[in-house]
Order: sequence, then structure tokens, then C-alpha cells
Amino acid sequence: MALHWKSCFILSLCFPLLAFSRSSSSETFDEELTVRAMRDGKVASRFSFSTLLEGATPRNPQNLSTEDDSTAQHYTLFPLTLGQILREYAVTELHLTLNAGKWDYERWGYPDEPDVGTGAELWAWMGEGGSTTVDARWRGLRNALAGLFCASLGSLDELRTTSPALAFAPQGGLPDWEHPHAVRHASLPSEHVCTENLTPFLKLLPCKARAGIARLLNPHRLFDADWHGMGLHVVWLPDAGVQVRLTFQSVADPLRPASHRRDWSFASIFDRTIDTTCPSATTSRVVVSLPVNDAYSLSPQPASLEADRAVFDLAQHTEDLPLDVSMRWDVPFLHAAGASEAPLSIRRTLLGPTQDYGTLAVSITNAGPAAVRAAYLETMPWIVTFYLHTLVLRVDGELRPDLLESLTYTPPVPHARATTLEAVLLLPPRSTLSLRVGVTKAFLRYTEHPPDAQRGWDLPPAVLVPLASLPALNSSHSSPSHSNAHNAHDAPPTHAQRIYTPALLVDLATPDFSMPYNVIIFSCSVVAFIFGSVFNLLSRRFVVLEVGEK
Amino acid sequence: MDRIRARLRAILRPPGDPNLNRVQRRRAIISALTRRLHLIKFILFLVGYLWMAAIPSPRLGRGTYIDENALQPGQVNTYWNWGDVANADRYLGQLEGLRDANSTSEQRAKILMNEFIKLGMSASTQGYVFTSSTGKVKGTNAYAVLSSPRTSGTEAMVISASWISRAGEGDGTLNLRGIATVLTLANFLKSYSLWAKDIIFVVSDNYVDGMQAWLNAYHGSTQSNLQADDLELTSGVIWTALNIDYPGHSFSHLGIFHEGINGRLPNQDLLNSFHHISKWTGGVPVLVYDHLEPQNDLPSWIPSAYHEEIRGYSYRSKNVLRHIGYQARGRGSGVHGLFHQFRIDAFTMFGVPAAGPHGFHAIGRIIESTLRTTNNLLERLHASFFFYILTAPERFLKIGSFLPSAVLISVAMMFGGLRVWSDSAWILDIFVHPEKTEADTGPTSNKWIQRSRPVIPVLGIVLSTHILGGVLFSVLTTSWFSNNQTVASVVLFLAVFVTQLSALLAPSQDEKTTAPASQLLKALNLCFASTVISITTVVNFSLAMSLAILLGIPLSISSPSRSLPLRLGSFALYSGLGLGWIFAREELQKAIWDWEILGVWFAPFVCVVYLPLVLQAGLVCLLPV
Repeated sequence: MALHWKSCFILSLCFPLLAFSRSSSSETFDEELTVRAMRDGKVASRFSFSTLLEGATPRNPQNLSTEDDSTAQHYTLFPLTLGQILREYAVTELHLTLNAGKWDYERWGYPDEPDVGTGAELWAWMGEGGSTTVDARWRGLRNALAGLFCASLGSLDELRTTSPALAFAPQGGLPDWEHPHAVRHASLPSEHVCTENLTPFLKLLPCKARAGIARLLNPHRLFDADWHGMGLHVVWLPDAGVQVRLTFQSVADPLRPASHRRDWSFASIFDRTIDTTCPSATTSRVVVSLPVNDAYSLSPQPASLEADRAVFDLAQHTEDLPLDVSMRWDVPFLHAAGASEAPLSIRRTLLGPTQDYGTLAVSITNAGPAAVRAAYLETMPWIVTFYLHTLVLRVDGELRPDLLESLTYTPPVPHARATTLEAVLLLPPRSTLSLRVGVTKAFLRYTEHPPDAQRGWDLPPAVLVPLASLPALNSSHSSPSHSNAHNAHDAPPTHAQRIYTPALLVDLATPDFSMPYNVIIFSCSVVAFIFGSVFNLLSRRFVVLEVGEK
Repeated sequence: MDRIRARLRAILRPPGDPNLNRVQRRRAIISALTRRLHLIKFILFLVGYLWMAAIPSPRLGRGTYIDENALQPGQVNTYWNWGDVANADRYLGQLEGLRDANSTSEQRAKILMNEFIKLGMSASTQGYVFTSSTGKVKGTNAYAVLSSPRTSGTEAMVISASWISRAGEGDGTLNLRGIATVLTLANFLKSYSLWAKDIIFVVSDNYVDGMQAWLNAYHGSTQSNLQADDLELTSGVIWTALNIDYPGHSFSHLGIFHEGINGRLPNQDLLNSFHHISKWTGGVPVLVYDHLEPQNDLPSWIPSAYHEEIRGYSYRSKNVLRHIGYQARGRGSGVHGLFHQFRIDAFTMFGVPAAGPHGFHAIGRIIESTLRTTNNLLERLHASFFFYILTAPERFLKIGSFLPSAVLISVAMMFGGLRVWSDSAWILDIFVHPEKTEADTGPTSNKWIQRSRPVIPVLGIVLSTHILGGVLFSVLTTSWFSNNQTVASVVLFLAVFVTQLSALLAPSQDEKTTAPASQLLKALNLCFASTVISITTVVNFSLAMSLAILLGIPLSISSPSRSLPLRLGSFALYSGLGLGWIFAREELQKAIWDWEILGVWFAPFVCVVYLPLVLQAGLVCLLPV
């Protein structure tokens, strides 16, 4: 790898023109693993691999019709396949997550990476203008990513695409072009994430899974975890460059094999240890959150301690290798009920046993001492339509229409467009807000049913975003969240962030496609036919009428 | 070749006017049929009743099989071991302590909830109060949700046990071992990461009312007489549910109880999978209900060649009668019956109390394997395996082999009704004309003359009987009735009887111009009863069959008479047939309770549909000729 670096350096010396065309050709790669034990004994780990293409800017869609800058795609660490897609479709900001499981906010608190919606979720900010429309580029983007990640992102079609600008504000900066930027968002909750998605994910890393903390990405253990999710985040940081961050989160359960000890180690949760470092990595750290009130022992001794976190620096201290961090508690673990780890928690169910009408019941609990303004977002496929006039807000059984500050609603177009419902709610302190809205379930054409018709339809998770922490929407020029993104390695954002509800399954009226039922229908028709004939014979009288010649 | 063609044409198209031929042919068929209508009716009745009698025959029906390929029952290794049995025994000891301490519902539910929480699950309790005419029913359920690893939580399976066992139809025997099994399963199942659906553990209070409150809250259905807490924990759509009922110390067999309320049945694949698993994985023989196969000796005068057949018939008829008893009355055969209304396939596995040899070890393994099977489901059980009669654990009747029996009876009644209807339009005039207008008519004119059929007044009578039924039903559901049931039954019976006697005062009409009301009423009555029966066959076959037996012959033989005692006598008989159940104290209380708490349609159906039909037949006898 060192050789690689050197050759790159020589290359850039030999072609000063090339180096010049990009304001700075340097690319940096940082990796970090954070591990924390949670209240219920489970262990959350987050891998973050971030590559910064310094000084680069996203492609302006105005230039799509002309040949791309020939040097723009000369990468050393930055994943080329991804870079090509970003340039081809002029994507400014991109977030793709593939998650399995539902994140339990009440027990696990807020995740280190906020995008934990079940299944596949893709959202992107793209500049308008140019020869191709945003929607055309969005279609190309999701098909390209589907190919890159072996996921059925191609199904994120117009039926699932929405533009919720409030909940999915850009996390980086948006370049100041003459046309504004637009967001496209789609999620596919029924996407099953597995090892075929991890392999292409690892290929985007400079050291693959052969060195560095990526050594621990062992599919056998990761896909046996209670929760796992991978993410790809591309943002533009105006004063740094284009950053691509690949993340992998997992929640392992050391208590699952019927034990009473919550002790964990890399060997026990990943079945691997870190035995080599990735030479491309500028920084390579393992950060372990330390328990606050319990007696524990951590081995090996960490290089440094920051507040309640132990930091192992792989790049600096190679003498620790192979690194197998393990943590032991002195006492066995006992499960106990406790207060919610997250100040905001949300529960969403679809009530009503019938196949034509139901009620969407959402209850949002604000356990904190202060009122919170939050945006609640539903992006439903058209098969579920809201009856907006039935929307009621209650707190402790009392009607509170005043808590709804504003409501943006894009009605669905049958067979064509999804619903977007964005409501800004005021959540009173220490209370539970109950939101109920009647929904009607569509009657599908029989060709629209999927092969497993009797399973029902997965509905995407809803999203709750506390608005206080949101960057202002009209901030496309500067980037107030820039510092956040910069410090993402140092501290997981502890302030309020996007909260996803679990996905739902809706039963629509489904014809019985099975054979016996058709037989029943057929024989009923025959019986009805025979009955009709017999009835005719019994109740009618047939006579011959002689009609005169004239 | 041409000759053959010509001959064929001669047969198929006889010479002459084709229309005329057709009309003549049709008239010939009609007259042949109408002349033999009594015979046809008789044959239909005979075949229908014989068919019903043949339903338990071992020669009818076929062996059970698994239709849904995804289920793959019994294909897994089970890991439930003696350590789990020891856990179950520990839980059982705890539960026996609760029983001996006479703890209240809330205390029990709290303790159960804490046990679930100790296992690391989200658990909660739900209190509920039902108000019915007989008083209040209170209780507290405990439940827990195991969020399965890596699942989105959109689908769920339920494992439930009620506090009171179904032994003796919920006579108060406690289901402690069933609850201990649920708790141990919770501990056991969380150690595996292979679950594709969330698993919900429910320990419902009392017998059926606890689960009714829980399911209503889970699905957000409202019931006016139910006050229940909202559920703090929810999961996804429930597809299958297993209800565990293990009242005895040990069990020899596992019995399948599957009838749901209002005649619904679970998908048969679920029962067949369970049967397969129980037999091959658990080594426990399976029964339908708790009926053991009889081994007793038959009298020696019966040739031994028939012994097997007769024994099989009597065993199967016992099962079929039990099935009809549950399904016709719309009463579920256990707690599982409440699930079906929400499209959840559920059944109760009942450990038939015995001295041995099976216990926690067998039931745990069987449930584990059954859960693995239902866990395999990618979509709801949906093949049309919902219409069946289980005559024996491994034999069943498909819809086609039992449905026609009731339909045949209903067709016979329809024919009878139509015959009466068309007959009522005509009267044979045997009046001798004094003056002969036409020479060729003979000395007496045996002439059929047409008369009018005033339907509106008769429909009024029909409607009034249904309204009377409705009024009777509303009186039955008052607390006055439940408080003084013995007196009230007599009063109500007499009230219905006396109001109907007002038919005696109906004016008699001229037979030659208008058809008598009794005849028209009989026609409508038969047609309506026939329609009710044939519609009910698909919804609830047992009910349709009971109606066919109770109404088929009695409604067909009702006829007016000129002697008053005979009229009164036959009316009294019909009233007895229609309203006799009012003196069945226990049965009536149960039916009304089922209606008020569980929403079982049987009581209103009997009052508003069955009783009026029989009363109409009685009125046919009572009305003046």
C-alpha cells in the first residue's frame, strides 16, 4: 500500500497539470469503530469509513451535456465505481442505507448513525436544470446503485418516491448554482439485507476487509446480529471537499446463548480480531464507551481515556496488534425495566381488522422536561390514502387541535404517486401525544398484486424530526451542519435526531388466487345455472300461440 | 356417410316447426316433472338426510395432507431439553404459590409481567371490564413481545394460555401448566436468532373474556360494553396463534380444538402440521377434541366383519356431533376461537389429562417445532382450506362431500314452496252449471279457475313474526330477564303464544277469488327457510345442517285444518319447536353471555330468524281455511 502511495505521489509530480486541475488532489481515509454496551445487555458497534476528496465539488447538472472534467475521476482512495455514478447523475448529496431489524429507541437510545429505517432507504439532493431532469437522473441513480449494491433499489420507483424537504434536509452544503436543489427520497421496507450487499460494500473500501477495523466485518456474525445496517453517505463540505462515508452498524446480543453475562470481546461478537492496520488510513481508532455505574474491566489497556470513552489508536500503537478489545463486568447481568433511553419515542400501528378501512394510530411520547417542535413525516404508497378530515390529536384523551402547527400534504395519485404528509407538531413536555387518522385501503387491479399476494404490503417507516436541531432549509449556500459532519468522528450526535418508526404491513383486499376457490366458484355457477333452469320450468308456462296469417 | 348424417339430423332436428317442437318438448318435461314433484321432493329429502347421516362414515372423506409447501412441518431438530423442563417446573411452583395465595387478577398479571421483564422482554399488563346483563366481568391480562432479531416487526405469532383451562368448558380448572409452558417458552425462544416474526406471549385472564379484551385492543376494534386499557406494546400483523391448554398433571394425548366463534374455522394446514409434528417429533398421539378412540366390544350378534366399521362410525359421529355442537351454536371451542374474527389462524392444543406418559418435555418440543413451521410462512395461510369437517385426527371431509346434503334439503323445501305458490293461484271449480253454454263441456264443468294471491298481508304476517322475534331478543338481553329467568321464560313463552293466537281472529275469505292466507304463508315460509339454509351452508355448515333437520320436514308438513283443537294443537307443537329452548336455562344464559361479551350471533339468529320461521309454520296451521 505504501508503494501505492508513493507511485501516486510520483504520478502527481510527473503531471503537474493533472494535479493543478483539481485544486488539491489529496485524498484522506479515516476509519473508526465505536462500541457501546446498552441497557439491555446488547452491544452496539458502529464502523465508519470516511474518504475525503479534498477540494472537489459536485458536478453541476448544467454541464451534463458536455464532457466531464477528465481529471475529476482520477481517484486513489475514493471508490471509483461510486465516483462515476455521482458524476454521471450530478448528485450533490446522497444517502443510502440498507438496514435489517427495527431499532429499539427505548432500550438502545439514539443510534450513532441516525438513518435506521427498516429496509432500504435512499435519498439524494440534486441540482436542477441542465439537459436531464432531476427525476430522470434519480431513476438512473437508483438503478446504478441497485447494480452497485446488489439490492432491489430499482423498485424505488415513482410509486415510492417523494420529496420531503423538511425531514431530509441536506447534511452537507449545497453549491450555489443558478438553479435550486431538489430532494428525492424513497424507501423499500421489504428489502432483505444480507451478505450479497456486504460484499460490494467492502469493495468500496481501500483495504477491503483485509486490514484495519474492517477486519471485523465478518458476515457470519454481522448477519446473525439483532440489528444490522450499512450506509453510504456522500456529502459536500464546502471548505473541505466531497466526503464519502461508509458505515456499518450492528447490535449484537452477548446474552443470547442463554447466559447471564454481558461480557463481550471482538472475538465473541465478530469472531475475529484486528491483526493488521490499513496503511491507507490516516486515522484508525477504536472507541469504547465505558459503563458509568458498573464495575468492569477492559483489556487491553486503552491508549487514552476521554471522559467516559476509551480510545485505541491503531495507527499510532501497532504494538497492541492483534487487537481484541474485551470488556468484563464483575457481576452477572439482570434484566430490569427502565425509563426510555430516548427522550422522544414513537409508536405507530395500523388498526382495524377490515380490508377497506383502517386507522393509523401514532403515539409520540416526549419524556423530556421541555416542549419539542417536531416534524412528523409519512410517505405512504398510494395504496393507503389518508382521510385528512379524520385527523385528530389527543393528549390524555383530550382533543388538542392546537398542537398541529402546520400540515403539508401531497395527495396520492392512484397507480402513480405516493402520499407525502408532513405535519409540524408541538409535543408538550412529559406527555404522550396521540395522533389518529383514518385511512382507506386501495382495491388493486389483480395484475398489481405481488406473487406473495396474501402477505400484505409493507408500508415505509414514518419519520419524526425534532426541528430545533435542523439546519434552516434555505441554507443551500452556507452549511451550518458542516461542523457537525466534520466532528462526526469525535462525538456521535447526542442532540435530537431523526427517529424512525417500525414499518407496517397492510392487508388489502386480495383475491384468493388458489385453485380450490376457483373450483368452488365454478361449481356454484353451475348450481345457480341449474337452479335457474328448474325455477324457470316451474314458474313459467310455455304455450303455443297460433298467429293468424293476416 | 351421408345416410348416417341424415339419420343424425333426423334425431337431432325432427321435422316440423323447430320452435313448436321445442315448446312441446319443454311442456312434456314440465308436466313430467310437476306430476312427479312429490316424488322428487321425497327423494331430495331422503338423499339429503341419508347424506347427513353418512358424514361420519369412515368410507367418506379422505386422509389429511399439507397443502402449503412453505410449512415444512417436522423438518427441524428441536432444542428444548430437560433444562427447560426444570424451568417450567420452577415456574409452575411459582404459579401454584399464586393460586394458593388467592392472589387477585392484578397481582397475578403484575407478577407474570415481571417474570417476562426478567427475561429481557418488553412486557405489560392490560386491565379490562365487560358490562353485561348478568353483571360485570373484570380481569387483567399480562403479555410480552419478543422482538425477533433482524425482523421489521411487521408480522407476529402469538402463544397464549388463559388462566382458566377449557377443561369442562371453562368450569374453573386452572391452566397453570399451560401458563408455565408459555413462560418457559419465552425464556427458551429468545435464545434463537432464527425467528422471522415477532413472538407475542399472552397470558389472558379468566377463560375467554381476557383474550377478547386483548384482541380488541390489539386491533383497535371498539365494543360498547368493554372498557379496556390500550396496549402499551404492539407488534405487527398476527398471522397464527397457538393456545396452550394443559390442565392436568400429565397428558396421554394432545387434543385439537379448532372451532371459532360464529362458525369460523382455522386453516386446516395449521392443524395438519401440528398433527404431523406431534406425531413424528413429539411422539404424542393427537385427538380431535378429547375423544379417545373406543376399544369396547360390540354385541356378539353383530358379525365381526362389521365391527371395525361400526366402531369407526360411532367414533367419528361423536366427533362430528361435538363439532356441530360448537359450530352451530357459534361458540368457539376455546380461547383460540376469538382469533379467527381477525383473520388469525389459531387452535388450542389440549393436553388430555391422564396419568402419563407425556409432560412439559413433549409439549415444549411440539410447540417449538410448530412455531418453526409457522415461522416459515411467507404469506398468510390462504389456500381454501377453511371448509372441512375433521371426522378423525387423520380423516377429513372436503366441502364437496358434505355441503350438498343441506343444499339438497333446501332445494326440496324450495320446490315445495314454489309448488304451493303456483297451486295457490288455481282452484278446481266443481260447480255444476245450470245452463249449458257450450255443449261439449259435459254435464259438470271440472274447471280450473284462477284466483288472486294477495301477498302484502301475508308479508305483513311474516314481518310481524320477525319483529316479535326481535322484541323477544331484546327482552332476553335485559337484566330483568336474567334476574328472574324461571318466571320470565314462562311469561315470555305465553306472551308469544298468545300474541300469535290473534291469528284466529283473521277473517276468512272467499276461496274462489282469493287464495287463503295460510297457503301463501306456507309458500313464502318454505321459500324463505330454504334460502336461509342454502346461504348458511357456506358460512356455517353445522348451523345450516341443524336448520335443515329442524325445519325441513316440520315446515313442509304444516297444513291448515278445519277443526279448532287440531289447529291449536299443531300450533302449540310448533311453538314448542320454535321456543322450547327458552326453558333451557343454562344454555340460554350461555348464548346471551356469548352474544354480549364475544359477539356470537347465535342468540339473535335464533330469535330473529329461526323462531319466526317456525312460528310462521305454526300460523299456517292456525290461520282459518
